[in-house]
Amino acid sequence: MIQPTVAEPVPADAQGPALAVKHRRAESYWRESWGRLRANRIGMFCGAVVLVLALLAVAAPLIAQYVTHYDPARQVLADTYLPPVREHLMGTDELGRDTLTRLLFGARVTLLVASVAVSLLIVVGGLVGLVAGFYGGIVEMVLMRLVDVILSVPSIYLLILLTILQPRVGPWQLTPSNPVSLAVIIALVGWGGVARLVRGEVLSVKERDFMLATRAMGAPGPRLIFVHLLPNVASVMIVAASLAVGAIILTEAALDFIGLGIQPPTASWGNMLANSQVYFFHSIYLVIFPGLAIFITVLCMNIFGNAVRDAFDPRLK
Amino acid sequence: MFLKYALRRVVASIPVLFGVTILAYTLIYVTAGDIVPGLELNPSIRQEDITRIRHNLGLDQPPQVQYLNWLGVGYVLKQAGAWPGEPSKGLLEGDFGTSIIDGTRVMDHIRDRLPNTLELAVTALLLGILMAIPLGVTGALRRGSRVDHFMTGLSVAGVSIPSFWLGLLLILLFSVQFKVWGLPWLPSGGAQSSYNGGDALDRAFHLLMPAVVLSFAYLAVWSRYTRSSMLEVLSQDYVRTARAKGMGVRRVTYLHALRNAVIPLVTLIGLELPGLVSGAAITEIVFSWPGIGRFALQSAIGHDYTTVMGLTTFVAVLVVFGNLLADLLYAVLDPRIRLS
Repeated sequence: MIQPTVAEPVPADAQGPALAVKHRRAESYWRESWGRLRANRIGMFCGAVVLVLALLAVAAPLIAQYVTHYDPARQVLADTYLPPVREHLMGTDELGRDTLTRLLFGARVTLLVASVAVSLLIVVGGLVGLVAGFYGGIVEMVLMRLVDVILSVPSIYLLILLTILQPRVGPWQLTPSNPVSLAVIIALVGWGGVARLVRGEVLSVKERDFMLATRAMGAPGPRLIFVHLLPNVASVMIVAASLAVGAIILTEAALDFIGLGIQPPTASWGNMLANSQVYFFHSIYLVIFPGLAIFITVLCMNIFGNAVRDAFDPRLK
Repeated sequence: MFLKYALRRVVASIPVLFGVTILAYTLIYVTAGDIVPGLELNPSIRQEDITRIRHNLGLDQPPQVQYLNWLGVGYVLKQAGAWPGEPSKGLLEGDFGTSIIDGTRVMDHIRDRLPNTLELAVTALLLGILMAIPLGVTGALRRGSRVDHFMTGLSVAGVSIPSFWLGLLLILLFSVQFKVWGLPWLPSGGAQSSYNGGDALDRAFHLLMPAVVLSFAYLAVWSRYTRSSMLEVLSQDYVRTARAKGMGVRRVTYLHALRNAVIPLVTLIGLELPGLVSGAAITEIVFSWPGIGRFALQSAIGHDYTTVMGLTTFVAVLVVFGNLLADLLYAVLDPRIRLS
């Protein structure tokens, strides 16, 4: 083995990092992936933008109180349709409400719906994918046909149907004007893709030797699934989750826009845009800012999602 | 060989077809299936009338019988003498139900609006493909160039931009500002059906903006797909052989490689058919295009459950057939598929 020449002898305490360059220490999969993700500057920048937006959303009441000094519902009928001015950085709407404040509060809805929906989507899709892939046979056939069915109905029709039927799930009635219910509806329609991805990954992981070994030692099914299979397909689930968020935000905005989601006076980006359709002759900014908010958020989330995919699953690139 | 493959694909799509109808039926049965209980709250309606109404609507039968009835199987079985009671015509005979609000037949509405939706979707599809292929090929031929990077960015932007916002921006520019500036402007809605004697040119003007908006997201995805598919084909042996024989780069690229590179697009389009129909619905709403999607929304807002359910079932069945068609077309274009 050829030893690379070292210019100067290194002090003993600095040997760690210096050696790491020459003999690469074994790194865990997660550390390595994180390293790859961190190296992707554009991806990290977009991730940071999303994070800042999320923080702004969480802090919206404080910002409204101390920075913009407006309540999202406060009407000033003397100040309607203002363009961006010093007191209203993004102008005002037809009731003289501050657009910036309303956008910040709208971000809360977006953040809530997106986080709840993506969690549910991953849990349901992941569970179905794991169970179908692991057990195979009739279980797999039934579950995957169900996925086929859900994926072949154009989602907007299912969403429209669910928003008007407002089905009960256990003790909860799914009223789409409530962000959490809306998230559940979006997740119910959207888990199919995740299930397919996870199942595909399970099919390849379960053939590996360690699975056979664990099974030979007598581990029961659920233990095999959750202790041994799950960590090995977790990366696929993370990738699927980060790629799904953008689509979820778009879906939520679209539902609000067509009037079936979050209802005014609660501000959401989608219903602000719907509102702007009526008043754009008075102020073009009513169209521009909410749309820009959706676009930038989804764009950053998608770029970040792509970065996560490239970092965690280089094969998919 | 092809027949065998085709038959297998057809058989495989049957459970999905039934699944779609079962899904729609279950949804409506679980949530709104018992429409009549609302009547019980009305003190001026007698109990026997409620029973009679329920019986006439077939709601006193078990759900599986109701489902088969709705499907139209009952009617078929009746002919064979194996069905109790009076069956209704069902989906199998094109009966997608009647509106619970005004009693109109859902199929009549579909017949009026389907051509409009198809016109929009097919135009967008063609527009998307016609722009995506040259863009994708350019990206593949000049990999890593500025054009390529620009297009990568554009494709991410394309899937991230809300189509309804893009639609509004286009309306603001081409319908509102162009009119203000005294330029020829595009109408933002109010298309007349050309089947009802509308002027074809006028129709095309109305179609332009919605079709561009609808094709935009797909343009982005398909151009990337064409790019990677093209790169793969260009690295294959037969391309090198053709080049080695002295055939020009252009000839090899556009005549030999491109043909094989665009074949996988067929599958992609088939897979994205549900998305295209969803996108068409949103676009129809923004541009007041008189299609099925906009009608579904109007019905939803009017709480016309049965109409929305009929429309959903119809659209889903349409998509399943579309998928099947794409699969078969793919096998026609790429003989390797049939063998595997």
